[in-house]
Amino acid sequence: MSRLGLGAALLAALAAAVVLGVRFGAVDLTTGEVLAALAGGGPEWQRQIVVDLRLPRLLLGALVGGGLALAGATFQALLRNPLAEPYILGISGGASVGAVLVLALGLAGATSWALPLAALAGAILAIALVFRVATASGRTLDVRVLLLAGVVVAAFFSACVAFILSVSEARTVQGAVLWIMGSLAGASWSGVGVTAAYTLPAAGLLLTLARPLNLMAIGEETAHYLGADVEKVKRTALALAALLTAAGVAVAGVIGFVGLVVPHAIRLLVGSDHRALLPLSFLGGATFLVLSDIVAQVVLAPTQIPVGVITAFVGVPLFLVLLRRSLIP
Amino acid sequence: MRFTAQDLVVRYSGRGHAALEGVSMEVPDGSLYAVLGPNGSGKSTLLKALLGVLPVSAGAARVDGRDASAWPRRELARAVGVVPQAETIAFPLTVREMVAMGRYPWLGPVGAEGEKDRAAIARALEHCDVSDLAGRDVMTLSGGELQRVRIARALAQEPRALVLDEPTASLDIRHEMAILELLRSSADEGMTVLVVTHSLDLAARFADRMLLLADGRVTAEGPPATVMESAVLEAVYRWPLAVAPDPATGTPRVTPLRRSLPPGA
Amino acid sequence: MLGSRLRVALTALLLPWTVQACGPADDARPDGSRTDGGPPDRSAGAISLSDADGRWVQLPGPAARVLSLVPSATQTLAALGAASLVVARTDHDTVSWAQTLPSVGGGLQPSLEAIVAAKPDLVVRFAGPQDTRTPAALDELGIPHVGIRPDRIADALDAILLLGAATGRAAAADSLVRHLQAGLDSVRAEAAGREPVRVAYVLGGDPPWVAGPGTYIHELLELAGGENAFADLGSLYAAVSVEEFLARDIGLILTPDAGRLGARVAAGLRVVEVGDALEFPGPGVAEAARTVSGLLRPGGRP
Repeated sequence: MSRLGLGAALLAALAAAVVLGVRFGAVDLTTGEVLAALAGGGPEWQRQIVVDLRLPRLLLGALVGGGLALAGATFQALLRNPLAEPYILGISGGASVGAVLVLALGLAGATSWALPLAALAGAILAIALVFRVATASGRTLDVRVLLLAGVVVAAFFSACVAFILSVSEARTVQGAVLWIMGSLAGASWSGVGVTAAYTLPAAGLLLTLARPLNLMAIGEETAHYLGADVEKVKRTALALAALLTAAGVAVAGVIGFVGLVVPHAIRLLVGSDHRALLPLSFLGGATFLVLSDIVAQVVLAPTQIPVGVITAFVGVPLFLVLLRRSLIP
Repeated sequence: MRFTAQDLVVRYSGRGHAALEGVSMEVPDGSLYAVLGPNGSGKSTLLKALLGVLPVSAGAARVDGRDASAWPRRELARAVGVVPQAETIAFPLTVREMVAMGRYPWLGPVGAEGEKDRAAIARALEHCDVSDLAGRDVMTLSGGELQRVRIARALAQEPRALVLDEPTASLDIRHEMAILELLRSSADEGMTVLVVTHSLDLAARFADRMLLLADGRVTAEGPPATVMESAVLEAVYRWPLAVAPDPATGTPRVTPLRRSLPPGA
Repeated sequence: MLGSRLRVALTALLLPWTVQACGPADDARPDGSRTDGGPPDRSAGAISLSDADGRWVQLPGPAARVLSLVPSATQTLAALGAASLVVARTDHDTVSWAQTLPSVGGGLQPSLEAIVAAKPDLVVRFAGPQDTRTPAALDELGIPHVGIRPDRIADALDAILLLGAATGRAAAADSLVRHLQAGLDSVRAEAAGREPVRVAYVLGGDPPWVAGPGTYIHELLELAGGENAFADLGSLYAAVSVEEFLARDIGLILTPDAGRLGARVAAGLRVVEVGDALEFPGPGVAEAARTVSGLLRPGGRP
């Protein structure tokens, strides 16, 4: 499949998904009502649904899905491991500890920003901790140590969360579980703005590292001999991918599967050249999460299914089909 | 391109003795230079020090008169094509994609391939006789084919020197000879070729000069005839050896002897 | 452990969310209601409410369209004669009169679109940290909301007063509360003369989950002449071993669903199935207390 072809297809799919998500939601509205709401007319409650609920949720889904898929592709290249995914370095663990602490201390209250701030701080501290451990052996960043440190730190944070919850009342546990499960339901225009402030610059910078990441796929030694500044590329790519993940988790909880599978699917379609893989992963992740979220809201409306369930239910068969096609020439 | 070491000492942190102890040598421009020695004698260490990858504890390692570590990465990549000992390829890659990576030091910030780049890639593929493998996944290649592809990648850098670390390890006769003939013809065309190898016989046949290392020190250096002396080689490899001219080629050939003869021999 | 460069980076990274948090909050809505938890405003017609989270919520007038996410609140509104004000319910509202109303999904992750479509001027939700997204979204949308706790008898009475004030039925609320308290007092008095019966409230499972101190059922038992066999439990609900269970010399087992009781647990003990009547306190607290008291009376029947 040609790269431009896939790119165009994904852009079209994303646009279609957004249009779909604006038109259809948990509540039935006619096309006329939706258009009127977009234009600023119609009853206020319809404007609220279309402009204050649906649009921000779709945009947030695109940002978070794109960021997670891009981070996943980057970690897979850096750690040279096809099982790598955005949460592999303990980022979700750190974020969960931050969020659960806020819930347990009763600070979440009715304020909308305490949780994301705490989750983001937790995620960043987790990255810093893992990074510190991985560079302790010398000046160079050893990716094998990084991977191991990430797994261990993730397990540690998981234990922290379990401890906090074990001494908390049932309501806190309920709130923690719901938050960790991941959801785009809390999307607001301000949340979209802040997430975009993190995601778009980080993604843009990461795309410029595509060529060196290509070289790293063969090995750090060879990449160095071909002229890449391996240390700088590793640290920068790592920091940016971690930031993308942290920004996504802070605002939407732990949505799994997107960061692992979308890069592989794109790779099956257009190969491992990161100049195509990275931007197409972003587009693919955005489209995938937006569509999954629409399904999650609509299929059993008004009951909402956690979006992570849909990404798995839809993503797995899709991925298996792609895998089969690629293995059978 | 000249590679020079002057009283070079390289020490790995945490190890008692030095990996290279006072090594002095020079790879003349446009020659095929072979570095040999037993396992652990410091061959790969010497290569890495000459390429500026390992920090030098004492002495100097220079490329074209300039300190190896002082060369800007990109400039060195444009001048020297390196084929390391082993690579693990993490993701599927076509032959052409791999060879195209050799153009990295020449590409601008956007990374788009120009006419010049495409021509260099085609020439490299042709030179290594892998043009018809261009669309294949590298993981489906045989050892010999993969090695030729890696050399093509180095040639795509359009370097003035090639540095190879054990390029023919685990290759059969045909593939081994093909690669050595390729390296010899490159040297004849003016390329400086620096090779680490285990094969004494092939080095003696193809190299202009040989360097014999043992325990991080130089034990012999010079044209094959000088280095291929049984006394020298026996001391280094610590095994009884006989050295005689190969009847087919005329170059010195090593025959390891049996330590204990079987009854009746 | 964190270098200075790292601290700077950390601060820089947290900046966007911090700026967002410290930005001006849009606390005053055009219709005069406030959702920021600030002190009450004494203008005419305005109603100030203090909910179970300790937040101050202000309404411009009595609520006319109420959306209840809490089943016991739905029941309370009916008990106050405000059933006609309820515009939507959740999937967990099982009362028959509410079945014709549209549902907004679950009580903890309701569909925001469905909430907006119901055009409520007050949303009643669970107080506490279970769901942080819904209150935040309601604030953004400018829909007033109050939290109630459905944990203890006192919570139920507070909720009645809160909802009464919110719907302009404060007098009805006061009278209902006094009526319920009288009912509870009479149950307490009647039970005082009896020998206490050891009771366990078992949710089900093997090992069985039982209710401990601090729960609604515990309050009812103590009130109605019973003694919670697990009054020394370390938490609200916990699993206990079957041996422990049998060792406690229990006189009666109350359970919401006898089918979920393990066979070993029920062996040899009197079991009464009470459905979900004793799960959450609501306007039926006095009735529930009387029911339990009846069960605990010698030879009692549900």
